[in-house]
Amino acid sequence: MSASEQIIPHGHVLRYNLRERLIHWVAAVAYIYLLSTGLAFWSPWLFWVAAALGGAQVSRMLHPWAGLIFFAAVWNMYVMWAQQMKYTDDDRKWWKAVKYYSTNQDDKMPPAGRYNAGQKFLFWGFFWSAVVLLLTGVVLWFPEYIPWSLRFLRYLSVLVHPAAALFTIGLFMIHLYMGLFAERGAFGSVIRGDVSIAFAKRYHPAWYKEIVGESSAPRK
Amino acid sequence: MTNGWVDIKNTDMMLIMGGNPAENHPCGFKWAVEAKRTRNAKLIVVDPRFTRTASVADLFCQIRAGSDIAFLGGLLHYAIENNRIAKDYLLNYTNAAFVIRDGFKLPEDGLFSGFDPATQTYDKSTWNYEEGGDLSGKAGAAHGATGRPAIGKDGKPLPPRMPENAAYDLTLQHPRCVFQLLKKQYSRYTPEMVERITGVPKGQFEKAADLFTSIRKDGDTKKVATIIYAVGWTQHTSGTQIIRTAAMLQLLLGNVGRSGGGVNALRGHSNIQGATDLAGIFEILPGYLKVPVPTDTDFKTYLERITPKSSKPHIWDSWNYWSNTPKFAVSFMKAMYGDAATKQNDWAFHYLPKVDRNYSWTFIWDDMYRGNVKGLFAFGMNGVAIGPDSNKNIEALKKADWLVVGEIYPDETSEFWKSPGITQDEMKKIQTTVYRLPCAGFAEKDGAFVNSARWLQWKNAALPPPGDARLDQETLARIFLKVRELYQKEGGKFPDAILRASWSYTNPLNPALSEVAKEINGKALADLEDPATKQQIKAGQQLPGYSWLKDDGTTACGNWLYSGCFTEAGNMMARRGTEDPSGLGIYPNWAFSWPANRRVMYNRASCDPEGKPWDPSRKQVWWNEGTQKWVGNDVPDFKADSKPKDHMGPFIMNPEGIGRLFAPLGAVADGPFPEHYEPIESPIENPLHPQQSNNPMVKKFKTDADKFGTSKDYNLVCTTYRLTEHYHYWTKNNPMNVQLVPEPFVEIPAELANEMGLHGGEKVKVTSARGNYIAKAMVTKRIKPMTIDGKKTYQIGVPFHWGYRGIMEDEGKTAKTVANLLSPTVVDPNAWTPEFKGFLVKLEKA
Amino acid sequence: MSQATLRVQKISGHAGSVPGEDTQRGYTVCKLIDTTTCIGCKACEVACMEWNDLPFGETVFDNTYQTMPATRWNYWNLILFNEHEREDGSLMWLMRKNQCMHCAEPGCLAACPADGAIVQYTNGIVDFQQANCIGCGYCITGCPFDIPKMNPTTHRVFKCTLCTDRVSEGLEPACIKSCPTGCLHFGAKDDMLDLAEKRAKQLRDHSNFPNAGVYDPPGVGGTGVVYVLHDAANPEAYGGLPKNPRVPLSVKLWKGPLKWLGNVAMIGGLVGLFVHYLRYGPKEREDEDLATKPGGGKS
Repeated sequence: MSASEQIIPHGHVLRYNLRERLIHWVAAVAYIYLLSTGLAFWSPWLFWVAAALGGAQVSRMLHPWAGLIFFAAVWNMYVMWAQQMKYTDDDRKWWKAVKYYSTNQDDKMPPAGRYNAGQKFLFWGFFWSAVVLLLTGVVLWFPEYIPWSLRFLRYLSVLVHPAAALFTIGLFMIHLYMGLFAERGAFGSVIRGDVSIAFAKRYHPAWYKEIVGESSAPRK
Repeated sequence: MTNGWVDIKNTDMMLIMGGNPAENHPCGFKWAVEAKRTRNAKLIVVDPRFTRTASVADLFCQIRAGSDIAFLGGLLHYAIENNRIAKDYLLNYTNAAFVIRDGFKLPEDGLFSGFDPATQTYDKSTWNYEEGGDLSGKAGAAHGATGRPAIGKDGKPLPPRMPENAAYDLTLQHPRCVFQLLKKQYSRYTPEMVERITGVPKGQFEKAADLFTSIRKDGDTKKVATIIYAVGWTQHTSGTQIIRTAAMLQLLLGNVGRSGGGVNALRGHSNIQGATDLAGIFEILPGYLKVPVPTDTDFKTYLERITPKSSKPHIWDSWNYWSNTPKFAVSFMKAMYGDAATKQNDWAFHYLPKVDRNYSWTFIWDDMYRGNVKGLFAFGMNGVAIGPDSNKNIEALKKADWLVVGEIYPDETSEFWKSPGITQDEMKKIQTTVYRLPCAGFAEKDGAFVNSARWLQWKNAALPPPGDARLDQETLARIFLKVRELYQKEGGKFPDAILRASWSYTNPLNPALSEVAKEINGKALADLEDPATKQQIKAGQQLPGYSWLKDDGTTACGNWLYSGCFTEAGNMMARRGTEDPSGLGIYPNWAFSWPANRRVMYNRASCDPEGKPWDPSRKQVWWNEGTQKWVGNDVPDFKADSKPKDHMGPFIMNPEGIGRLFAPLGAVADGPFPEHYEPIESPIENPLHPQQSNNPMVKKFKTDADKFGTSKDYNLVCTTYRLTEHYHYWTKNNPMNVQLVPEPFVEIPAELANEMGLHGGEKVKVTSARGNYIAKAMVTKRIKPMTIDGKKTYQIGVPFHWGYRGIMEDEGKTAKTVANLLSPTVVDPNAWTPEFKGFLVKLEKA
Repeated sequence: MSQATLRVQKISGHAGSVPGEDTQRGYTVCKLIDTTTCIGCKACEVACMEWNDLPFGETVFDNTYQTMPATRWNYWNLILFNEHEREDGSLMWLMRKNQCMHCAEPGCLAACPADGAIVQYTNGIVDFQQANCIGCGYCITGCPFDIPKMNPTTHRVFKCTLCTDRVSEGLEPACIKSCPTGCLHFGAKDDMLDLAEKRAKQLRDHSNFPNAGVYDPPGVGGTGVVYVLHDAANPEAYGGLPKNPRVPLSVKLWKGPLKWLGNVAMIGGLVGLFVHYLRYGPKEREDEDLATKPGGGKS
């Protein structure tokens, strides 16, 4: 992506273009709906959530459609980012140093590219979970059409679907924490699309070098 | 039934054959299940298919359709051979001891004595008792007149009659006594022969025979067995004789008249017992009186002919209850013609039509086919679908001038001109005018339905008939009154018979059935007094029962058998008393059971000759020495004050007073003992006498529509039947029944399907010499291949509930064929029932 | 809808206790089906349709006397037919009335996420309350007898109600009333088991069925519908009656350990992240003046 495609504020670099941000938010909104209704189906203590969101029957009816939308968005993300999410030697080094990352000693971290290993883990975690959630979700969407002889599919799905969902909930909690609290400035990257140069240098130095090396320096 | 539905719960042993009550009488069948549950009663089922009845049986025998006499004859043979008979009962209550005339011949060659090949008829004079007295120890000796027929006033020989004094041998040794003849007759029905004819393997047959006759093992007289049957027996050319064989077996085993025993016919419709009781058959008048024939030149001659005279050993007594025929007949005429029937005019005897020939079902259609019938009223009777040989019936209708159909749905008969395969041109040529009258369904009718147990149960209508539909009595009344009006205006050949018929209902156009019921019950026309009890009845009062009937015109009664059903106390048929003090299921206060509210007929036979019940735990009636009367939990079917030592026979409706092992003279058309003859279309020659395979008295119809096939072209034995889920031809209009069983099917043995490469659900075509039937194949293990006289033979089954008009038919989802396109136009020579079961077909993929 | 609140002892998807729990002193009801006297007449099928006013549906011929392959959302009671050959070569035509078994420990209720969609009354009847049903079909998975069926248009699930409306008025269920042979009985569970055992013994002693017995599967805590079978060792022959039915393991795991672990993990996660923030705060960058930012920080 060339820098000249968008107007970048002084001292900032473009991290996510419009398409990427839109798809992220489609996924996010869908996921939040899935999470809310999903938790309502998961726990009697939260069943009221489905009732509040238009009624339990409606929630049950829309949950799988939201799931399809979510999967479509995740699939788009795959198309956009899968290449950049490949696991490299740098990622191995990053995981070895993860205790520094989690105690906010980022200067001790090996240089991360556009996505650090944690983010790559999040990406693949969400992607594969979405696949599993889709497949088990389709079974749970049409349980009455699964014949008795194939009932093992239903048995598998009722267990694997919530298990995968719980996994994504874990990822989601970390993702929100990182994006809203731990890495200040990160949130703007999915709203306006840009981050400060300092942000880029600190958290994704290899990526910053690439950008800067690729084209003329952004206008100051 | 001789017994009743509830009574079945009292049995120890059931043989269900020629019937499938679990499927066709599920509510009545509860009593069979009750017997199993509460008494460990055993159930033997013999049927061409493993039915839902067989599914709860203790023993099942698969039999070739049409070979029932062979099986039952085998049971007779087994019982006699193994001494499993009720000796005292046999001796005292049957004609086992009666001696038969010299000259009588058993049908070892297929023919009884007296057969004339030229006329193809029997001279039955040798089928008779010998006249005389005690012939014990006098084997071969003849007493009294034999062979010479009596001469009448006109010099011509009189028809043979039973002798007043029948010769007898109480040691049962005389070679011509009925018992010895019976033994000889069925000596040919060995288990090997049974296997050859019926296809039931010898071992299996012997198991069944051992089980059924086990009730008389070691001289046991307490236990009781019942035989239950339906149209699986009647719908054969040997139907009457099949039932005869069963009756004989039950007499031999001493089961008739006993609680849990008897010979029990399961009627096929809710009120068909009522239909036959009230003469819905051409040969009888209500109460089973015989119709007059042209040679009955006057009433006296008529009564002479139809009133039997007793015939018995002189040492015994016989009530011969039919000797009261004149009382029944005169009372009937008074009911029909009221004041127009007087002593002077022979009780209006000449108003009655003289029945000159056979007017039974198939004969009517045959007549119509020949162009001799102007018009037909078809009331709740789907003649096209019923057949036999539906094509012949359709063609017959085309030749009639008019057809009136009374129905609740349009059916195959009411739309006969639209039968499948007919062309527009052919349709245009049909000149028959068809009138369709909407009638009421069963839930819209009140009145009494008479069930198999002879219970007249009054019922109320659940709802009125819809729209313009009319009740049957209104429809018939309006037709009758219109005809009467025409006779009044225009005169006619013999108007009196119509004009002077009694029709005194409050609403003549729509008579209340309770008024009709009162008429049927009968009333006094003058003040009457019973000389014995001094009881009095005033003129105009309802009669308490048939013992009040007179032959002098002082009583009127529409049906003597029903007398007592609507008395001065009210409508006895509407009673619903649930008391059953004896626990035998007698329920004396529930409805009205003919005759005279007795529940088990011939119940005198439930006691030994001294008047003590054979089984004290099932006391029906007994002789009370103190009061010198017969008393009991059931109404005694006997002369109340006849002392046991007078030895009056329990079978009071037979002139001999005994049960007939041997049926003398004209009682049956084709032989005093049943003999196995092959169905008219048969896969084999009769192993007993191949040169006379078929019953010589069974005649085939002879029009070009009457076609018959042989095993050369038609290799499968076919039987037709009903399902629980449908009722004849009208439930194909009811979504509920259609949901349960939506499409016509044919049941095919799995082995046959395998041979043909046929799978369940594939369309098949069944063809007989008369037509073909297309339906889906039901491939099943419940019909096994059979070996009939060494020849591998398959049977297939065709439930018949479909046609060319119904829910599925109208949606084009069936082939619109009718099962009775297959069946043959050949009938039983006694009851005229067609051979709907046990004919030949072939099968192919459609 | 459910009766007085104390009649209900279990509610699906319900947070908090059920008021009717532990309030039962009397018996649980039980339907006894004696397959050895069933004649497959289908009076019970029709009675169920009639009483519950269920609409007629389409059926097709399927090489059997069985009305349709399985129960439907609008056909709750079905006789299953099986032509079964015994070891000695003789044929049996087994007929089993198939409907909800009203398990004491119902898998449908365990699996159901919707509050009040499935209830179990103190008399043992398990009843679907379609007004609360969300149409997820988890009950279909929870049931070891393949009973609950979904209406494809309205997405509500239906099954036999053991005529709870009749039973609460002191009447027997419609099927019981209609059975002509008296093969169906209804009453207190103890009485029905007693009757069943007596009948099974009678079959063993008198009818050459040495394995005759009663089917009351312990794997679901016993059922409100029990069978007398000619051969209790081979229930599968009776239209696939499961030999040892249980609530599926995956459903048990999902509603048991996974529920626990998941809840602990989620709450633990939230708490953990909060504590992490308290301890470590946000990440720092050179361009940020952390001194002026809340939470302070080092440069």
